[in-house]
Amino acid sequence: MRLLLVEDEMDIQSFLVRSLEEAGYQVEAAPDGRTAERLAAEETFEILIVDLGLPDQDGIGLILRLRAMGVRAPVLILSARRSIDDRVRGLEQGGDDYLTKPFALAELLARLRNLLKRNSPAAADATRLRVMDLELDLLRREASRGGQILQLTQQEFVLLEYLCRNAGRVVTRSMILDKVWGMRIQPDTNVVDVHIYRLRGKVDGVGQQPLIRTMRGVGYVLKDR
Amino acid sequence: MYSKTAKPVMRSAAWRISLWATLAFAFGTMMVFVFLHRFVASDIQRRSDAWLSGEVEVLSDVAERTPKDALYGRVVGEVAELASREAGANSPANSVFFLQAGSDGALKLWVGAGDGQANLKAILSTPMAQDHPTDVRVQGFSFPFRVASKRIHDGSEVYLGLSERDQLRILRNLRLRFFVLWMLIVLLGFAIVFFTSRRMLSHVRNITEAASRIGHSDIDSRVPTTSRNDEVSQLAHTLNRMLDRIENSMHQLHTITDSLAHDLRSPLTAIRGKLEMSLSAAADGERAEAVVSAIDELDRLADFLNKSLDVAEAKADALRLTRTEIDLDGLLKAMVELYEPSMSEKGLKVKLRYLGAVKVFADAALLHRMIANLLDNELKHVPASCTVTIELRSDEETVSLVVTDNGPGFESDVLAHLFEGRVKGRHSDGHGLGMAFVDAVARAHGGTAEASNLESGGARIVVSLPMAAPGYDSSPAPAASIAN
Repeated sequence: MRLLLVEDEMDIQSFLVRSLEEAGYQVEAAPDGRTAERLAAEETFEILIVDLGLPDQDGIGLILRLRAMGVRAPVLILSARRSIDDRVRGLEQGGDDYLTKPFALAELLARLRNLLKRNSPAAADATRLRVMDLELDLLRREASRGGQILQLTQQEFVLLEYLCRNAGRVVTRSMILDKVWGMRIQPDTNVVDVHIYRLRGKVDGVGQQPLIRTMRGVGYVLKDR
Repeated sequence: MYSKTAKPVMRSAAWRISLWATLAFAFGTMMVFVFLHRFVASDIQRRSDAWLSGEVEVLSDVAERTPKDALYGRVVGEVAELASREAGANSPANSVFFLQAGSDGALKLWVGAGDGQANLKAILSTPMAQDHPTDVRVQGFSFPFRVASKRIHDGSEVYLGLSERDQLRILRNLRLRFFVLWMLIVLLGFAIVFFTSRRMLSHVRNITEAASRIGHSDIDSRVPTTSRNDEVSQLAHTLNRMLDRIENSMHQLHTITDSLAHDLRSPLTAIRGKLEMSLSAAADGERAEAVVSAIDELDRLADFLNKSLDVAEAKADALRLTRTEIDLDGLLKAMVELYEPSMSEKGLKVKLRYLGAVKVFADAALLHRMIANLLDNELKHVPASCTVTIELRSDEETVSLVVTDNGPGFESDVLAHLFEGRVKGRHSDGHGLGMAFVDAVARAHGGTAEASNLESGGARIVVSLPMAAPGYDSSPAPAASIAN
């Protein structure tokens, strides 16, 4: 998977290149808009990460120029600004995504995956999700583990569904709040942890292999092997 | 906010201006007319008096010279007849009479309508001046007579009377015409003044309405101006120049906070990334623990940065809002569902009360964070086995979000400065910006935040927001959905 990273801060660029390569992307990095345009003209990328504050030009201007050049790949916009520009909203509606700095790597990776999935035509909606011996019936809103129906509330089901869809991958608290509750908030209390704790009590019964794992400092992961 | 409706015309400034202007105009023209009327009346009087005095002179002369024989009556009578015809050329008969009374007061000669007894009686009962004519009211006549008198040498008195009917009629016609015209002019003047001043003032009203609309969200719009260079248009231009300056300094503030945020967030991002990478590399527990707590601290720092910049902008009335219509009761329900497990884990009971759908026109992200701050505050500071009640009240104009608990309440030194920022309770581990942020968001939306301690113990925070104005075009608020 070829990825173009446009980021002028060398500190950020270097750790992003390393982490993205670890995650399996082939990364080309550009420190400014000109280099990015040149690279995009020479090669084809499946996905782009563009920082809004570039030294030589505005990130949005770059994205629009790349689009005009025929670059169709989805863009993840990184922004250290406080307010979200209307043009960013426009791009967001056009299928791109944005992430404010500082961010968790897990969230960056999750958003990249979303963008790629959104862009691929074969994303058939399943009606059942299966992770190990956990099974979710999305139509009947029922979850069962090892054939045993789990008594979940509506909210717990949505949370478990989200974890299942991201099985094997780390999800952060703010990702859970955003996707499950639709809120981009940063509570300085343990609200998400208590929900996970309760869900874990129902999903991981006594004597069963624990599925929901806490990744300290990062978030949670639903084990898929 | 200026309200166009429910303002009767009688209370408008245009009405008052035109009322006073019309009163002054009407009074002035009336005074002018009164002077004119008096002048005309006295002039008519003077002319008729001059005629009377002249005629009575002639008649008395004739009466003196004519021998007192059988023809006396006919000669004097004919002269008097002639004079009366001359005077009453345009008026019906009996407007003039001639009368000669003897020194004994008996009627000696009479020319005129009727027998003249009533006239003589009226004349004798009215004190007459010798040198100028006098008004005499005669029974049976509705108009007084102007009577000139002259004593002749045989001791008898010669009287010539002219009815004032004609001159009174002239004056009455004059008055009538004046009143009709005066009423028309006054009404017309009132209408002209009312409509012009209303038009003028409607420009002012447009400016007021536009200026009150220009709030935090659309500081870049301007009040309407006209091409005329009058006072109203100068007011609009001055307002617009003032708005330009406000917009400028607001942009300045935004530039400062943006670059501050940018300059701090970039290194934070780099540090966080490196910490995360070292976390995945560090296998042993103790080092991982240290990195985890460093990441936590860093996230808190980033949150603190966001909040303090938001609070700073809000205090300058410069917080940028992206307003959408938000279903507040639905949002509150979701928030309470989110917080309920943590609260019950801590031994807190939480109750949610609201009356049906409540919509506000607000910035969704800020409102979410504001409510999260309120609930975080309860979660952190209210001791176990207390009850937190969240209530949504609304009247016609405002929506109030009331958070009440039966805990120990605020410490008095905290309560006094709760919304100022950097204030926190002795046992709080936050950075003390939470409530300042709540206040900032409420104010940025044109609302208020108030905190108090209840008499029965416990604390209450009331956040009031203006109700969603109907007719705003709005896109739907982002709904909670699972979109992966």
